[in-house]
Amino acid sequence: MTTSPLSRTLLTLAATALIVAGCGGSTGSESSSSAASGSSGTSGPPASTAAPQLTDDQSPPTRLVVDVTISGGEVTPTNEPLQGAVGEPIVIRVNSDAADQLHVHSNPEHTFTVEPKNGQQFQFTVEVPGKVDVELHELKKTVATITVQ
Amino acid sequence: MTVLAHGLGGSADLPIPYTYALIGAAWALTFTFAVVAVAWRRPRFDPEKPGHALPQWITTVVDAPATRWAAAIAGLLFVGWVTLAAVFGPQDSANPLLGVCYVLLWVGLVAVSLAIGPVWRAVSPVRTVYRLLPVSRRPPPTAYPAGWGYWPAAFGLFAFVWLELASPDPGSLAAVKIWLLLYLAVTLAGALVFGTRWPANADPFEVYGVVASRLSPLHRNADGLVALGNPFDHLPSMPVRPGLLAVLAVLLGSTAFDSFSAMPWWRNFVDAHAASAPFGDVGIRSVGLLVFAAVVGTTFWLGARATGGVTRGQRRALPGQMAHSLIPIVIGYVFAHYLTYLVERGQQTVFGLLGLRHAEVNYLLSLHPSVLATLKVCFVVAGHIAAVIAAHDRALRLLPKGHQVTGQLPMMLVMVGYTFTGLYLLFGG
Repeated sequence: MTTSPLSRTLLTLAATALIVAGCGGSTGSESSSSAASGSSGTSGPPASTAAPQLTDDQSPPTRLVVDVTISGGEVTPTNEPLQGAVGEPIVIRVNSDAADQLHVHSNPEHTFTVEPKNGQQFQFTVEVPGKVDVELHELKKTVATITVQ
Repeated sequence: MTVLAHGLGGSADLPIPYTYALIGAAWALTFTFAVVAVAWRRPRFDPEKPGHALPQWITTVVDAPATRWAAAIAGLLFVGWVTLAAVFGPQDSANPLLGVCYVLLWVGLVAVSLAIGPVWRAVSPVRTVYRLLPVSRRPPPTAYPAGWGYWPAAFGLFAFVWLELASPDPGSLAAVKIWLLLYLAVTLAGALVFGTRWPANADPFEVYGVVASRLSPLHRNADGLVALGNPFDHLPSMPVRPGLLAVLAVLLGSTAFDSFSAMPWWRNFVDAHAASAPFGDVGIRSVGLLVFAAVVGTTFWLGARATGGVTRGQRRALPGQMAHSLIPIVIGYVFAHYLTYLVERGQQTVFGLLGLRHAEVNYLLSLHPSVLATLKVCFVVAGHIAAVIAAHDRALRLLPKGHQVTGQLPMMLVMVGYTFTGLYLLFGG
């Protein structure tokens, strides 16, 4: 029971830091504005996570990338229906001209601080299946609803 | 302000797969027409039929003043504890008050009432406070107007679902505090004016609990003994009072609206028209909620009124006399819709109340989506089938010979419509 989530966490190397931070803070805003950390240049599905665990992992080594633009109080997209997989990294790339907060309504929740600049990247994984709303707090807009299965 | 689902955040259930919805609908449809056409031709269920009486000591314990006072004091202590948490706890969405309001009170009360009977009457803080006041020993200053019936409770329930589904921010701690304080003030004031007839008719949670308890296997025989019986015998004992249909329409309509309002096109519609509509997005959602409740109430009323072969006077009484058959549908949807909330947010709330902030919630249901989807379809279909059986049995009692099959067709069509709408909303919403 306890080893299974742990091993799954290990599979998604990139997300490990975020998950640990999420468990530690009670409700807090783990403002991980890991802006443009080198990987922002790679546009398509990158040759990401390390090879050996592919043998026992059903999900393909892909990740879901959502591009979000906030400009003049308007956000694109809104209410975008998307599909994701449990444990698969989800990356939100934000170009913004205003400060805001990005709420990811998963179990547990994630909160990211959006700054008024381009090329910000936020990554998380969802470990509990469900419909996850990604919401901009200040603008009161739902960016996307990710069906994570 | 946020668009937090139910003011609690976290993810929502996955939509149920297409095949599940289809199989569920097929079963429900087949069963409906089988019941109407070939099932029993003579009424079987009777609220007067005594259940299997449990040993006398159970009734003695349940009715003992010590038990009653213990339950009442426990209710007051719980309210006190929640008040402390609300005032001194974290003043944000982590406060357990939100979970107490939206999970324990709204869904947990239904589960407990279904299991053991209308408990809100025993633990209601307002009833306890009223009982402690000297005025409760005198007859109430005013008689409760019989014409009001359950209407105040219907308004109270609508006010609750409005807070949860249409208000500017259901997750606002301040809004929930104001709502609960208003509820306590209105219920206590009503009790001071009308005596205990007020909480019995107008307290939204007490009426909701009574509605749910009609499906409980536990009830009382005519001699007062606690008995184990067929819930179908118990179901018609729901008191028919003005506003009963409104109560059930608000409960069913709001659950449907909850699923509906998760649909992307509805959210886009709200976003697109929020600027031009009066009261913005709140106005649009309020109208949507009202329309859903009104559609449920009106379709059921029309379905009952369209019954063939009865006199004008009988026809007028039919919507109320048939209303109890909506109860299984309401309960089925509540569980289909809020089961994960009850199990998973319920844990979160209890941990919050105990100060166990780092306790890990067990996402048992969410982690097994196919089990969850099966359960949800089973709840909806079982609720529907139970409703059809209850309506059929009551129709046999009320309708004259020769109209007993054709007379109930409009009502069956309404019920089939509810099932398809419900499954569609669970599937697509």
